[in-house]
Amino acid sequence: MQLPLRRKVERDFWENRLLMLFLILKRALVAFLTVLVVIVLSGVLIHVVPGDPVTAMMAQSVTATPEAMAEMRARLGLDLPVWQQVGLYAWHVLQGDLGTSIRSSESVAQLLLQRLPNTFSLAVSGLVIALAIGIPLGFLAAVNRGRLADTAVMVIAVLGVSIPAFWLGLILMQVFSLKLGWLPVAGSGWRNIILPAFTLGLTYCALVARMTRSALIEVLAEDYIRTARARGLRERQVLLVHALRPALISIVTVVGLVFAYLLGGQVIIENVFSWNGIGRLAVQAMLERDYPMIQGFIVVFATSVVIVSMLIDILYGFLDPRMRQK
Amino acid sequence: MSYHISLNRLRLLTAAAMVTVAGLSSATAAELIVARSVDADNLDGYKTSNTQSLQITNLIYDTLLTMDKDGSIHPGLASEWSVSDDGKTYAFTIRDGVTCHDGSTFDAAAAKASLDRALDPATVNPSLSAWGPITGSAAEGNVLTVTLSEPYGPFTSFLTSIQAPFMCPSSFAEAQFKPIGTGPFKLASWMRNDSIVLEANGDYHNTNPLIDNPGKPHLDKLTFKVIPEAVARMAALRSGEADLVEPSLEEATDLKDDENFKVYAAELSGQQVLAAFTWKIKPLDNPDIRKAIGMAMNRDAYASIAFEGLVNTANCPVAPNLFSTDEDLCASWGVTYDPEGAKALMEAAGYTADNPLKVKLLVHKLPGWDQMHQIMQQDLLAINVQAEIETREVAAFFDHMSVVNEKTDGEPAVWTMGMSGVDPDYLYFLWKRPGFVNMGLNEDLDALLEEQRRLSGDARAAKIHEAEKYLMENAYAIPLLSPGWGWLMASGAKVDGFKMGFMVSLLFNDVTVAE
Repeated sequence: MQLPLRRKVERDFWENRLLMLFLILKRALVAFLTVLVVIVLSGVLIHVVPGDPVTAMMAQSVTATPEAMAEMRARLGLDLPVWQQVGLYAWHVLQGDLGTSIRSSESVAQLLLQRLPNTFSLAVSGLVIALAIGIPLGFLAAVNRGRLADTAVMVIAVLGVSIPAFWLGLILMQVFSLKLGWLPVAGSGWRNIILPAFTLGLTYCALVARMTRSALIEVLAEDYIRTARARGLRERQVLLVHALRPALISIVTVVGLVFAYLLGGQVIIENVFSWNGIGRLAVQAMLERDYPMIQGFIVVFATSVVIVSMLIDILYGFLDPRMRQK
Repeated sequence: MSYHISLNRLRLLTAAAMVTVAGLSSATAAELIVARSVDADNLDGYKTSNTQSLQITNLIYDTLLTMDKDGSIHPGLASEWSVSDDGKTYAFTIRDGVTCHDGSTFDAAAAKASLDRALDPATVNPSLSAWGPITGSAAEGNVLTVTLSEPYGPFTSFLTSIQAPFMCPSSFAEAQFKPIGTGPFKLASWMRNDSIVLEANGDYHNTNPLIDNPGKPHLDKLTFKVIPEAVARMAALRSGEADLVEPSLEEATDLKDDENFKVYAAELSGQQVLAAFTWKIKPLDNPDIRKAIGMAMNRDAYASIAFEGLVNTANCPVAPNLFSTDEDLCASWGVTYDPEGAKALMEAAGYTADNPLKVKLLVHKLPGWDQMHQIMQQDLLAINVQAEIETREVAAFFDHMSVVNEKTDGEPAVWTMGMSGVDPDYLYFLWKRPGFVNMGLNEDLDALLEEQRRLSGDARAAKIHEAEKYLMENAYAIPLLSPGWGWLMASGAKVDGFKMGFMVSLLFNDVTVAE
């Protein structure tokens, strides 16, 4: 027996909503478990690395007897077994407390939150530049497959992947800050973001270009593209409407990956351009063995990456109905 | 039409013109921007031991006493001081009219409150042990009395140290710490990992003999920026974004011959680089083998090649300029560079080119040190010692050394380290058993190091010399260089009057910047 059309539409509507809700809940649960595993694993690994905060404090000038150093360790809770330290930390994190920095005596959450906007703004700026350059380049290469333009774009892509970001950053700094004097060398103002954002954008646009090219080449081989051409549609319309849009759906995944890379991978760029993000904070904390600070960074970084991945998955679900069925 | 200008009027005009010209050309700029590699980790002077933090706290807070280039002690917040005959009670008269940055008075009661906080175990002060065996303190009138359980020779030296700041009680009156001191600069703002802005303390009165300016610093504003990359710091210096920077070793070498720049080396760093041994492991338990290795080390080459001539060779296990350090005396106790003699000693012990002694050369990374260790490796190979370099990050290195130094068997190791301070008492922290990273030796040295703490003046100096002689004649320590890490600064030629004090403290009181 066939359902009336209206009821069928309604049922499909609610079915779709339920599927999406299920997808979101599933992703959220996986995200939570992932962050929990990261907290425990990172906690164990940090303690496995030789050297502790008290030893690091004495690196330049020893002003404590071994007995006093032991007393300091006890005061900081570093004398507890590793499992206990990690367990306590995980318990505090679940209660929303990231602890206090051993070196600065300040709230880890506050220190990270102050810098998170800087890290995100640099990652987003870098991503926008990577997409703005990478997608047109990939498009150009795909529609000119096997020709000179394709080869040129691929050479640029290989160069982009091969050139170390810090080297590119230093070259840009030499040219635009020192020689031309257009942009500042260091700092965290709006003019300061231009060079690090371009450094990141230029580095990652190669990856975006390659992904766009391969996605577009795959789409261009589909039957419906041939049909569109056979129906006499203009090539411009075929490429931009029928080919590029579906290809961009696969690029969404790459965007998520690139954004995650940018969040974690910009540590070096933050150092080169003195950009006050969480990456620099993390590097300093690692050298000083500031355990709560390192763990706080890992929690925030892992959570950010997991949330971005989750959002990408959900977005993918909205864009591509087949994903919801899966 | 003629103009008649009286002589007096001409003189007046000339004087006015001269004043104007002088005003334009003289040092009048009131702001200085300093670029360093890392930020301070804490501005609470009792919760930090890292140089970059202490460089800032030393500008915000004063010390009770100060030290001159020759190691002599001078007034600071205390205008005078005395010690009882038994050496257990010190009385410090706090200078009248000292005001904190928030306008409150710094008196003996404030000094006591600060001292109490420094000694409170809950503060977790990394320098707690260096304050000595203090059992109590009292404030009466303008006198702070400090009682010790036993005489403590390094006490007054330590009170000059950037590790012993005195803070105003308003700093720690509330749960949230606020850096309020009596120093030449007060904190205006701090954006972590980005910049620290200090403003001149208009009421400042200087007593530090290393500083000429008796009052308020010439600079009105002092900004410390964090630029982690050495290349970027140099770009900031060359582009004018920064006036004073920490250069890399290579860049300092280039700059020192450039008339547009000035390079400053902290001669009073109190830093000392030395080589040591895992002497509990055979054959390094043999003093002749240790001496041979010391004799092979070409310190002149390390200073001139690895450190580009920006450091000096050192003879003592304690840095030059510190109390009792006598480089000539140490030279007579220690080994001298003699590769032939060293090779003969090694051959006598059975180590030849075909049967070399295999050791680890355990090191950590610092500018200039890599190259020094490579030259050292060649030096050792020349006397039939095959050294395999193992480099670790600093915290991991010291952790590893605390394990290796306890071992009595396994592969022997030669290792290097650096230390800094304002008093030879750091020998106590390093070498008295168990010692820093288990470096401690034996009861003979323990006794010497304990005794020097209970003495003062010449008697203490003699005891320190005994300890140094013991370390060097038995070749437990091979002094190499001084200074050896993070002791360089560079500025444009327009910066004048910048100085570096003990433990790489930065002194800006005399600084002027020409327009």
